[in-house]
Amino acid sequence: MLKYTIKRLLQSLVTVLIVVTIVFLLMRMLPIDYYFTEEQLMKFTEEQKQEQLLQAGLLDPLPKQLFNFYRQLITKFSLGDSRRIQSGVAVTKVIATRMGISMRLGVISLGISLVLGVLLGIAQTRFKDKFVDGIGTAYIIFVNSVPSLVSYSLVLVFGSRVLGLPPLYSTRNPVSITLPIVCLSMGSIAGYALWTRRYMVDEINKDYIKLARAKGLTTKQIMIRHVLRNAFVPLAQYLPASFLLTIGGSLLVERFFSVPGMGALMTDAIARYDTNVVQGCVALYASLGILGVFLGDVLMMLIDPRIKLTGNGGTR
Amino acid sequence: MRKSKILAMALVSVLTISSLTGCGGNPNNNTNPTTNQTTTSGGSNSETTSGSSETTTSDNSSTPKAPVVDNGGEPIKDLVMTQSQGSHECETLNWLYTQTGSTSEVLTNLVDGLLSCDVYGNLVPAIATEWGTEDGGLTWTFKLRNDVTWVDVNGNKMADCTAQDFITGLEWVLNAAKNDANNTSMPIDLISGAKEYYDYTKSLPTEEAMALDTTKFLEIVGVEAPDDYTLIYHCITEKPYFDSVATYNCLYPVSAAMIEQITPQGFKEVSNDQLWYNGCYRLTSFIYNNEKVMEKNESYWDKDCTLFDSVTVKMVEGSDVSYQLYQAGEIDAVGLNESQFSTIYNDPNHEYYNNLVETYPSKYAYVVHFNYNKRKDDGTDDTNWNTAISNEAFRQAWYYGLDFTEYMARSNPLNPNKQTLDTFTGRGLCFTSDGTDYTTLVTDLLDHGSTDRSDGQGKAARLNAEKFAEAKAQAMAELTEQGVTFPVQADYFILSGSQTSLDAAEVLKKVFSQCFGDDFIQLNIRTYVSNLTQEVRNPRLQSFFINGWGADYADPQNYLGQMVYPGDNAFYAQYYENVPDASADVQAVFEEFTGLVEEADKITDDLDKRYAAFAEAEAFMINHALFVPVFNQINFKVTRINHFSTINAPFGIQPNKYKNWETSTVAYTADDYAAFEAAYEAGRPTD
Amino acid sequence: MNNMNQTQNNEDELFEFTEYSAENAERIGYSDYSYWKSVLQNFFKKKAAVTLLVIFFLVLIFSFVALKIAKYDITMEPDSSKAFISPNSEFWFGTDNLGRDYWSRVWFSSQISIKLAALVAIGECIVGVTIGCVWGYVRKLDRWFTEVYNIINNIPTIIYMTLVALMIGQSFIIMAITLIAFGWLPMARNVRNLVMMYRDREYNLASRCLGTPLHRILIKNILPYLLSVIILRLSLSIPSTIALESTLSYLGLGLDINTPSLGILLRNARGYFLDYPYLLVFPALIVSLITVTFYLVGNAFSDAADPRNHV
Repeated sequence: MLKYTIKRLLQSLVTVLIVVTIVFLLMRMLPIDYYFTEEQLMKFTEEQKQEQLLQAGLLDPLPKQLFNFYRQLITKFSLGDSRRIQSGVAVTKVIATRMGISMRLGVISLGISLVLGVLLGIAQTRFKDKFVDGIGTAYIIFVNSVPSLVSYSLVLVFGSRVLGLPPLYSTRNPVSITLPIVCLSMGSIAGYALWTRRYMVDEINKDYIKLARAKGLTTKQIMIRHVLRNAFVPLAQYLPASFLLTIGGSLLVERFFSVPGMGALMTDAIARYDTNVVQGCVALYASLGILGVFLGDVLMMLIDPRIKLTGNGGTR
Repeated sequence: MRKSKILAMALVSVLTISSLTGCGGNPNNNTNPTTNQTTTSGGSNSETTSGSSETTTSDNSSTPKAPVVDNGGEPIKDLVMTQSQGSHECETLNWLYTQTGSTSEVLTNLVDGLLSCDVYGNLVPAIATEWGTEDGGLTWTFKLRNDVTWVDVNGNKMADCTAQDFITGLEWVLNAAKNDANNTSMPIDLISGAKEYYDYTKSLPTEEAMALDTTKFLEIVGVEAPDDYTLIYHCITEKPYFDSVATYNCLYPVSAAMIEQITPQGFKEVSNDQLWYNGCYRLTSFIYNNEKVMEKNESYWDKDCTLFDSVTVKMVEGSDVSYQLYQAGEIDAVGLNESQFSTIYNDPNHEYYNNLVETYPSKYAYVVHFNYNKRKDDGTDDTNWNTAISNEAFRQAWYYGLDFTEYMARSNPLNPNKQTLDTFTGRGLCFTSDGTDYTTLVTDLLDHGSTDRSDGQGKAARLNAEKFAEAKAQAMAELTEQGVTFPVQADYFILSGSQTSLDAAEVLKKVFSQCFGDDFIQLNIRTYVSNLTQEVRNPRLQSFFINGWGADYADPQNYLGQMVYPGDNAFYAQYYENVPDASADVQAVFEEFTGLVEEADKITDDLDKRYAAFAEAEAFMINHALFVPVFNQINFKVTRINHFSTINAPFGIQPNKYKNWETSTVAYTADDYAAFEAAYEAGRPTD
Repeated sequence: MNNMNQTQNNEDELFEFTEYSAENAERIGYSDYSYWKSVLQNFFKKKAAVTLLVIFFLVLIFSFVALKIAKYDITMEPDSSKAFISPNSEFWFGTDNLGRDYWSRVWFSSQISIKLAALVAIGECIVGVTIGCVWGYVRKLDRWFTEVYNIINNIPTIIYMTLVALMIGQSFIIMAITLIAFGWLPMARNVRNLVMMYRDREYNLASRCLGTPLHRILIKNILPYLLSVIILRLSLSIPSTIALESTLSYLGLGLDINTPSLGILLRNARGYFLDYPYLLVFPALIVSLITVTFYLVGNAFSDAADPRNHV
C-alpha cells in the first residue's frame, strides 16, 4: 500500500508538471499584444512594448522561459510575480490571501450540503414515491432547471430586499456570508440528495437486502447498516476532491457577492494575460484535483473492501 | 492663466474605444468603460513661447467652487461609491508603477504631486506653490511647500515631504529593475540624462540595480534640489509644456525613508498598511475586488479644502447590484440602466422621479472613423469597401444620411439629440475673445449651420435628405462603374459577450438600413473576444469604428492634431497610415488637411486668428466627409454628488480626487443640476 | 444430440414421439422476457414522466409552429418606442429592451438551446461511455487514462474556451464540439468507477474463464448495470449544458451573436427582471420544462432500465 501510495503520488506530481507545462505553452501561443491593455497598446511604441516584455522575461525563447520557470519554482518555491492582477506581488501571496476566504465559505457550504443533501436523499429513498420524495425531487428539479446565473440573482434580490440581508460580502460583517453560502449550498445539496437517492434505490433492489429483510432487520437498520453504507461508496469517491476544491471558490458566487476569493482570480488573470497567476492557479487546482482523486480512491477502498486499487487482487 | 493654457499644450489624450455603452454598462461614478489614456505628442508648439520667460505664480490656491444649491440636505460625511469589478480594480498601490486609469483613480487620493488641476482642467498648485521657466522651457524650477508631511496608514506623521522625495520618485521610475520600464516614456522624452540612466540600470544585474540610491542618478540625470524645497528639472530641449507633466505620476514623490523601511522589493509589492501617504486620504483597508476604505488625512497640507471623513468604494458585479445598494441607502450615486430608467421615468409617483439628472456631456466626442485600407479575414484587401470609401460621394452619403437619433437614444432615451455633435471637436472646449464657442466658428463655415439645441430635440444639422439622395445616386453610379458591388458590406466590431454593445449595434444596424436603404450599405455586426487592437485593428478588419476622443487641453490642435496624416504623434495616425496604399485621392485630401492644421498651429500670437484657422481646417475635413460626427454622451443618474464640482481634467492622474466635492445627503433634482451646470459654465475662465 | 439418440434407442418404449411444432422449437428459457420490452413497459408505467415527455415533444414541435405563426420575425428591427411592452395580443410574450418581439426570440432561442444541449448530451454519452468502459475494465490502461483524464480535467475549461474563441472563433458547431471535448470526462469517470466495481464480480470472473471476449463482457455483462446511471447523467447533462452555455456567454465566450440561446435571454433578463418580470419568466419556464422533463424522464428511464426492477 505504501509503495502504491508513493508511486501514485509521484505519478501525480508528473501529471501536475505536465499540466502546468501545457498551460504555460498554451498561454504563450497567444500573440504578445495580449499582454497589454487596450490603452497601453494605443499608447506604447513598439520599442516600449518590447522593453516591458524584455523586463518581464517574456521575450526569451520558450525553452529558456520554461527552464527559468521551473528553476525559480524549485530553488525559490516561487511562481513568479503577478503582472497585472496585483503588480509586483508574488503569485504565491496573491493566491494565499484569497485562498482562505474561498475555503472558509466552501467548507461551511460543503458541510451544510453534505448533511442536508444526504439526509434529504435518505428521506427520499425511505419514502420513495411518497410526498417527501416528491418535495425533494421538486427541489432538485428547481435547482437544476434554473441556470445558476439566474438563481443567484434571485437569491441576491430576495435575500437583500425581502430578508434585508447584506447583498455584498464584507469582512466586517459575519452575516454577509449568508447569501453566498446559500448560493453555494443550493446546488450541492441537490447534487448530494440526487446521487444518494439514486445509489440507495439501486442498493435496495439487491438480493442481500431482501435477505436482510427476511432475517427480520428493521427498515431503519437495513437503511443505515446496509443501504447507506453501500450507497455511500460511490459518493465517497468525490468527497476529498470536493473538499480540496473549495479552495478554488466559485466564479459566479464570488462575482455576484464581491467575495475577494479565488473564484474570479483565474478568469481575471486570463482576461489580463497575467501568465504567472494563471500558471499558479492551474498548478494549484491541478495538484488539488489530482490529490482529491487519489484520496477519493483511498477512501472508497477503505469503505468498501471489495474494491482493490493495486493490481494484485484481480486478473488482467 | 492664458499663457499656461497654450503652454500646457501637447501631452496626453483621453480616448474611449468606440462602444457606446449607454445606460447599461457600469454602475458608479464612471458610467462608461472608458480607457483613460495618455500619449505623448511632440513639441510642435515649441516656438510658441521661445524667448518669453515667465514665472507662473498662482495665488488662487483654493479651487474655484460652484455655488451651493441648498436642497435641504447636509454635505455627506462618509461617501460610499461603487465600482465594477474585474477590469476596474486597482492593480497596484505603487503610484510610480501604475499606467492604468482605474488604478490612478484610487491612487490620486493617496498622494499629491507638484501640481494639480481645477474643475475646468487648469493647472493649480499642489505641493509646488510657484513654478516656471526662465529660458523658454529648458530649465524648470518648482518651489515646494514646506508644510507637507508623509503619514503612515494610521495618520502618524512619519517625515516631511521634500524635494528629495521627488528625486527618489524619479529615480525609481527610471530604474529599469525597480519599475520594469513603466512610465518611463515621458521623462525619457523630456528630461536630460533620463535615457542614459535607464540604460545604465538596465545594464546592471537586477540585485545591484535594486540597491541603487540617488547618488549615481543625480550625476546622470538633469534634476537637482538646491535646497529641500526647491526642485529644478533640466529638459533635453525647450519643453514649454513641461509643467503639465508635473500632474503625472511619473514625476510623483515617494518617501525615501519609507522605501528604506520596507526595502525596494517591498515597495514594488507594497500593501496599504506599509505605505506612507501625503495625499487627501489614507487607504485604511483594501480588499481586492471587494472594498476600499479611505480615511481623511488629518495632516493634509490643504487645510481649506473640503474632504470626506471617509470614502468607501465597493466593488460590485453589475448595475443591478448598485441600484439595489442605492435603494438601500448604502451608496451615494448610481448610473441607471434602461429598465430602471424607464420604470422611474414612466411613473411620476416614483420616489426617484424628480431625481433623474443628466450628467454633463462626456469628454469624449464620438465620431465615425473610416478604414481606407480594410482587409478581409483571409488577409487580402477588401477592394469592394476600399474603393467605395475612397469615393467622396460615398462618404458624403454617410455624412448627409446617417441619422443617429435612435442610436443616441441608447444612452439617453429622453433627449437623444441633446447629445448631437456637429464637429470633430467637442463643444465647450475653447472660446474666442468675444465668448464664441470654437465649434460655432466651424459650423458657421458649413452651409448647414449647427444643430438647434433650444429644446434638446433638434436633429443633427448635417442631415439632408436631398443631398443624401444626390450623393447616393452619384456614389452608386460612379462606383458601379468601378466594379463595386452593392450593397457595400460594412463590418462593425463589438466586444463579444457585451450585451450593451450588441444592443447598440443592433440599433445601429437598423439605423443603417433605414438611412441608407438595403440596396446601398449593409452593416455586419462582428465580434472580437478580448483585444480590439490585436484582433481587429492590427489586421485592419473593420470598416469603421465609432471612437471617442477627449480633450487634454483647451486647444483645437488637440483634436485636429490626432487626425493629421502623416503625423507620428497623431492618435489616429495608425488608422490612416495605410491610406496611400488605398487611394491617392484620400491621401491628397489628408495632406491638404494636414497642411491647414500645421498652418493654424503656427499662429500663436492671436488666439482668435488661431481658432479661425483651425476652424477652417476642420470645416475642410467635414466638407470632404473624412469622418461623421456622432455625439457627446449624456447619461442619466440618481446621485447625491454634484459632478460639476469634481476635477474635470482627463489628463494625469488628477481626476477622481475626492476633494472639494459638493454633496448632499438628499439626492439632487434635475433643477439642482441645471443650476449647477449654469454656475459651472458661468464660472469658466474665458480669457 | 448424441445423448438424445442414445436415450431414444435405450428407453424407446417410455417415450412417444411428438409432432414437430415450429412454435415450440422456437420457445426458449423460462419466459418471454425481453430486456428492452420490459424497460419500455416499466417506463410507461411512470405517468408523470410520459406526460412530460409528450408535452416536451409537443413544445418542441410547437416551437416550429410558433415561429411560423409569430406576428413578428426573429429578424425584427429594434424599435425603442416599443421597448418593455408587457405581453398583450400584439406581442404575445411582450417585447425586450430593444422593442423586439419576445415571442419569436424565445422560441427561436429554445430551438437553438435544445439542439445544442441534445447534441452535446449525445456526444458526451458516446465518447464518455466508450472511454469509461475501457478505462474501468482494462487495468493496464487505467494509469494512462487516469493520466489523460487528470491532464484534461485539470486545465480549466475557461482556458480552453478562451483559446478556442481566440484562435478558432465562435459558432454553434465550435461550441458543441468544444463542450463535448471536455464534457465526456465526468461521464467516463462515473462509468469507470462503476465498471471497476462490477469488473471482479463472480459472474464476470466466470465469463472470463469461459474466454468471453472483452467487448462482449463490456456490452453484455456490464453495460446493462451502468445503463441507469448513464441515462441519469445524460438527462442531467442537458440542463447543465444550458447553464454552462449561459455562464460562458456571461464571460463572452459563448455562442456567436447571431445565435441567441435561452442562456443568453436569461442572462440579459437578469438586469431587467425586477422591473419587467416577464422577460425572465418566459425563457425560465421553457428552460424549466426542458430540465424537468429530462430529469423525470431520465429518472424513470433509469429505474426502468435497471434489470433488477424487472420481473
